Amino acid sequence: MALHDNDTILRVQDLSVSFRAYGGMVRAVRGVSFDLRRGETVAIVGESGSGKSVSTKAIMGILPANAVIEGGSVLYDGMDLTRLGEEEMNRIRGRRIGLVFQDPMSALNPIMKVGHQITEVLRKRMNKHDAKARALALMEAVGIPDAPRRFNQYPFQFSGGMRQRIVIAIALAGDPEILICDEPTTALDVTVQAKILDLINQIKEERHLSVIFITHDLGVVAHMADRVNVMYAGRIVETGTAEEIFFEPAHPYTWALLSSVPDLQTHERLMSIPGTPPNMIYPPRGDAFAARNQYALRIDFEQEPPYFSLSDTHRAATWLLHPKAPKVEMPEILRERIKRMKEEAAHA
Amino acid sequence: MPEQENVLEVKHLCQYFTTGRGRKRMTVKAVDDVSFTVRRAETFGLVGESGCGKTTTGRTIIRLYDPTSGEVRFCGREISGPMTPQTRRYLTDNIAMIFQDPIESLNPRMTIEEIIGEGLRTRGIKDKAEIHRRVLQMLAKVGMTEEHATRYPHEFSGGQRQRVGIARAMIVNPQLIIADEPVSALDVSIQAQVINLLNDLKAEMGLTILFIAHNLSVVKYFSDRIGVMYYGKMMEIARSEDLYAKPLHPYTRALLSAIPEPNPLTERKRRRIDYVPERDHDYSVEKPSMVEVEPEHFVYCSPSELAACKAMLRG
Amino acid sequence: MMIIEKGRPLPESLANLPDALFEPVGAASAQDEAFKTEPVGFYRDAFNRLRKSRLSMISLYIIIAIILLALIVPEITGYSYTQQNVKAKNLPPKIPVLENLGICDGTQVLTNRKKSSLENPRRFPEGCVLEILNEYDVNGVTVVDVLVDAYAYSGVPDDEYHWFGTDYLGRDIMTRLFRGTRVSLLIAFISVLTNLIIGVIYGSIAGYYGGKVDMVMTHFAEVLDGLPYIVVTILFMILFGSGMFSIILALTVTGWIGTARLTRAQFYRFKGREYVLAARTLGTPDRKLIFRHILPNTIGPLITRSMIAIPGAIFSESFLAYIGLGIKPPEPSIGTLLSVGQDVLLQYPTQTLFPAVLISVLMIAFNLFSNGLRDALDPTRRGEDV
Repeated sequence: MALHDNDTILRVQDLSVSFRAYGGMVRAVRGVSFDLRRGETVAIVGESGSGKSVSTKAIMGILPANAVIEGGSVLYDGMDLTRLGEEEMNRIRGRRIGLVFQDPMSALNPIMKVGHQITEVLRKRMNKHDAKARALALMEAVGIPDAPRRFNQYPFQFSGGMRQRIVIAIALAGDPEILICDEPTTALDVTVQAKILDLINQIKEERHLSVIFITHDLGVVAHMADRVNVMYAGRIVETGTAEEIFFEPAHPYTWALLSSVPDLQTHERLMSIPGTPPNMIYPPRGDAFAARNQYALRIDFEQEPPYFSLSDTHRAATWLLHPKAPKVEMPEILRERIKRMKEEAAHA
Repeated sequence: MPEQENVLEVKHLCQYFTTGRGRKRMTVKAVDDVSFTVRRAETFGLVGESGCGKTTTGRTIIRLYDPTSGEVRFCGREISGPMTPQTRRYLTDNIAMIFQDPIESLNPRMTIEEIIGEGLRTRGIKDKAEIHRRVLQMLAKVGMTEEHATRYPHEFSGGQRQRVGIARAMIVNPQLIIADEPVSALDVSIQAQVINLLNDLKAEMGLTILFIAHNLSVVKYFSDRIGVMYYGKMMEIARSEDLYAKPLHPYTRALLSAIPEPNPLTERKRRRIDYVPERDHDYSVEKPSMVEVEPEHFVYCSPSELAACKAMLRG
Repeated sequence: MMIIEKGRPLPESLANLPDALFEPVGAASAQDEAFKTEPVGFYRDAFNRLRKSRLSMISLYIIIAIILLALIVPEITGYSYTQQNVKAKNLPPKIPVLENLGICDGTQVLTNRKKSSLENPRRFPEGCVLEILNEYDVNGVTVVDVLVDAYAYSGVPDDEYHWFGTDYLGRDIMTRLFRGTRVSLLIAFISVLTNLIIGVIYGSIAGYYGGKVDMVMTHFAEVLDGLPYIVVTILFMILFGSGMFSIILALTVTGWIGTARLTRAQFYRFKGREYVLAARTLGTPDRKLIFRHILPNTIGPLITRSMIAIPGAIFSESFLAYIGLGIKPPEPSIGTLLSVGQDVLLQYPTQTLFPAVLISVLMIAFNLFSNGLRDALDPTRRGEDV
């Protein structure tokens, strides 16, 4: 099976995470599996509460205290990260896996000079002078002009975009091979976002990084991802290459997601998904999306669908792909849009 | 295009905020000489990045702030002058606002019925049955039911709360709605619900909407005309098709180029355009002003830039 | 995780699924989820949470019990708080039933008595000597420590009980203590309530209008806060005499400032909230904005603060009494009782013990209760754990 080649650098298998909450256990992640290959960007896309952020926090071992990893493994370099102790995990975090968070202000220490925050990671391995030189090089690499002066400034003296660059510089300081970005541009303006995305792409190329990119913005996914995992209610409902997800989506949730946001050419009425995501203290029987799904079959309410492969890289968890299911086409608005997008691409 | 009635006219509106005292006194020009008009039954989109003054513009129009200078007229009547009870009444009867944050914008101590009915009570309606009836009517319009009326905001999801916010604004039958980032705090699947609802209400009640947002795709989808703001100034005003097809101001072009589109084929090859005011303009000799380059298309530019724009439109 | 490869036959379990299961259900069935619970108002919700906190409920019961005792006890002991009895001076506690267990049995150890005087019925009435504890010689005289029934020793009838003993004027301490509790609580409640009213009004005005009004009002409060409070109190005592009025005045003259600051801060926090702005855009008048939209949000912290202020006021009153600025005798308060008791602390420790225990219990109960109240009224914890 093609998903199992030697390039795989990180493998998440059947990961399940729950939160203890008032009223019971919230099943935030329910059996998530995916591979990350060397040099590629995997995007995890979903709405708030879909479990996309929780799964990456589980990978990094930074889950909040009320979270429990109920099963599964995260294989990296012969180790299962879910079983490592805090100390071993610390050695991996920052050095081999870097993290970029959504809110750069809370990721930085407000009373520490930014230069110091970058060198902190480096100081374990080199002397002060080398660390500073390297930090300055990093700051320049992430596009901070006038690095020597900026080195001695505090986070509040930076704009949002510049702060996020600092966070990226810190993430890169340990020279990691995996970069996990958790909504790194959600708090930023579009023009700044564009620059940060280009920066992440550029350093990914230069350093041959593998990137896990979490976002809710499909435009950003299109810009960044080689492969895409669509998450809903704690499960990956569809996975495939970016082309497959955007041009041949197979899961009704992916359809709905793609056709519920207007792009610059949309005129038609938007397809809205009725209702709200289910309460994950009581995950519904069968397919969690069934109740909001206008293409739902009776079996969707009875039994959880397996993954049906559409190609070597593309599979979706929906009963619509079962041979006995009625033939259902994707919504008109989406088909139109995909046609238009393909034309545009041909033009460009 | 036939001349349409201007519902809202904003002329040279300025809103400065001062902070500090004495030597530390600083003036922030949140809105600086902004002019535009909104016509009956159209949606005018106001777009820009954080800190560009779009929210302040909306709040100044509805007089949450007192304008520093300039003039705002609603159906020809000035609403930017001193606030008499009559003017306030006129303003609040005709203009209503929808806010961004579905959590922050509803009083946690009040039930949905109290929240939606407040506008009626403020207008002196005392009859409880009447208020109840109209609240239920409004709830039905935004797709909610009677049983929601007795509930408190924290029991609702973001999309539902935003619908309550819309109902609260709509119940006084305003002519103009100022919608300040009504969907940006919502999940994508919920955004469509709210956008569709606003569209339906607009068609049904003949509303005029001033739509303020940072997401150009949403603004473009929703608006008939769009104004682009940058650091307190209006950069370009055009019909939304024109703005997208032939953006003239370099900032508009930068903004358009920065929007990631859900198309992996084009997106990977996209080149972003940077906007650097110091590089892109030379205003040392010529002063810029708002000029109508072609019908319905205004750009903030200097005379020589105007020539360039016209050349661009021809070419 | 089950993956069905493309082009491969389906596993049996999936291939044999009945056709009926694959019928479309039609339009999405999801509506806005119906509510399964009753709507819960804010205070109801807070009360539910308060009720769940065992510690606060126990504290609340203790507080209620003490208030009830303060109301009832002085009326039923059979003694009045002013009634002096020269014979029954400094008696130890004596409580029915308990006396049989050997505690609070009205006994007392007298030290360094001439052994010979024990025989003297005028000094030691018949049967009052219970036990001779130590016997030693001092300069050839045999001296003893002796356990006596203090009531018999003082010549008080055997059926007379002073549960907490008596003071140096022979007044019943229990009567005086609960009478004093009444006075202390009254002082505390009145002063806290006054502080609350003044503070809320002052803080609301400063916070709502802001700008210059706020600046002037804040500065005035700061100046007032700078006045030395003991000096002010003495001044009041001179002016109005040492009565309850002076003490309440002393407790309110600067006491409201904290409440005012809190209210002002809450107003600053809430007046820019989107829902307040929304109400303003609907033309809601200032009065309604203050009372309906902003003030209710400050009530939680205000109640909590006032609750915490009550033991504070009781303690301040005691402190004033302790340094001699207390309420006018013979009216007791917990503070004056403590003050009197500490004069004879070494000889008659029970005279300090009971007021000290009571004030401690009262303060701990109020503090625990207000902590629970703070958690219950915390709006971020709405709907939790109910």
